[in-house]
Amino acid sequence: MNAAWIELAKLGGSIVAILLLAWTAKRMGLGGDIRIRDNDHARRLAEEAICGFEPTDIVLDRAGIGALMKDASGRYLLIRRHGAQFVGRLLDGHSDSRLDQNFLTIGIGEKSFGKVTLNLGADAQYWAAGLRHMAV
Amino acid sequence: MPDLFSPIDFAIPAFVLLVVLEMLWARKHAPEKYEPKDTLTSLALGTGSQVAGLLTGGLVFALSLWLHEHRLFTIGWAWWAFALCFVLDDFAYYAFHRAAHRVRWFWASHVNHHSSQHYNLSTALRQTWTGFFALTFVFRIPLALLGFHPAMILFCGAINLIYQFWIHTEAIGKLPRWFEYIMNTPSHHRVHHATNPRYLDSNYAGTFIIWDRMFGSFIEEVEDEPIRYGIVKQLGTFNLLHCVCHEWIGIFKDVWSAPWSAKFGYIWRPPGWSHDNSRDTSETIRARWQEGREQSAQEKALTPAE
Repeated sequence: MNAAWIELAKLGGSIVAILLLAWTAKRMGLGGDIRIRDNDHARRLAEEAICGFEPTDIVLDRAGIGALMKDASGRYLLIRRHGAQFVGRLLDGHSDSRLDQNFLTIGIGEKSFGKVTLNLGADAQYWAAGLRHMAV
Repeated sequence: MPDLFSPIDFAIPAFVLLVVLEMLWARKHAPEKYEPKDTLTSLALGTGSQVAGLLTGGLVFALSLWLHEHRLFTIGWAWWAFALCFVLDDFAYYAFHRAAHRVRWFWASHVNHHSSQHYNLSTALRQTWTGFFALTFVFRIPLALLGFHPAMILFCGAINLIYQFWIHTEAIGKLPRWFEYIMNTPSHHRVHHATNPRYLDSNYAGTFIIWDRMFGSFIEEVEDEPIRYGIVKQLGTFNLLHCVCHEWIGIFKDVWSAPWSAKFGYIWRPPGWSHDNSRDTSETIRARWQEGREQSAQEKALTPAE
């Protein structure tokens, strides 16, 4: 019984310690506010997400929190911010999109990935039409 | 039997202190090396792993004791037995770790150690909750049958785990050549956590990098290519339960929907394998990358100099 209490105390201590460490990281301002700077940056992120993906057409979110890209074979790649990094997904038949003026909201059919809303300005309509006619 | 202490209990305060020191380093040099939510996920995975170990460790220890009763040799508790046990346990770790990257069943348990896109000391503590379920203990317990006492194996395994903590950092560059030749180092282990095609599936060592050199899985870190960390298909979420279960759920879905002849392949073949070749394995990614490199080298050679 004594050993069980010791283990519980250790577990409690660990939980307090990890919360303190995460709080410390936040207080120190770690992580920062990263954005996609330009098309070259987006191109690099595309290559990191899908090896061999060479975009022929790129649109960046106005705030740089995401990007949408298309390659020569008609594949679409969505990049979005994830903490202090970026993640990407190829869009397929499970994807859905909704246009609201300059804003294009894209879901990839993956609940944990969530939906992404990009401010694409005047380009939003063009890309929304592209996604509707996407080859899958 | 000597009364062995638990090395992990003594190491935890040092782990916490070193994480804080590395955060201070990151604040000064590269704040993006840490992400508070990622750190919280990693540390929570570590704590959960300790709980899972407490719940299932007794069974593994009992099984090891049973094997030890049927041991081939009586090795005892001499100092050299500890040293030998440590080296053999490290080799068993290498075998486990290689399987954990090449067999999807074991990968499903190990993947959460790799699913952070960051590489820092908190990543070291990002450990599995499902190791017992995946039966990963089968790699280490043969040492008990050989004649090493389970308590000694446990002790050596803990020292090995502690060694592996400090190598999860970008704050340390390359170390003296002799050390890099024998020991696993931050440089070697960065390569192991990389998703760059050139580095996929390499440097499986725990403490001694010599196993990778011996069995052809060693790759040296190159200076001119920034390393990207994580997994080939990055998770895109900090959800703890998703981190723990996503690959298990993936296996279940694939086995459920695959034709009968392919079901088992989704369990024992490498991560990324699919019966219709619609997905990427490390091999296909590396081949595509290699092809791209050769193509751009050819284009460069054909371009007339200005």
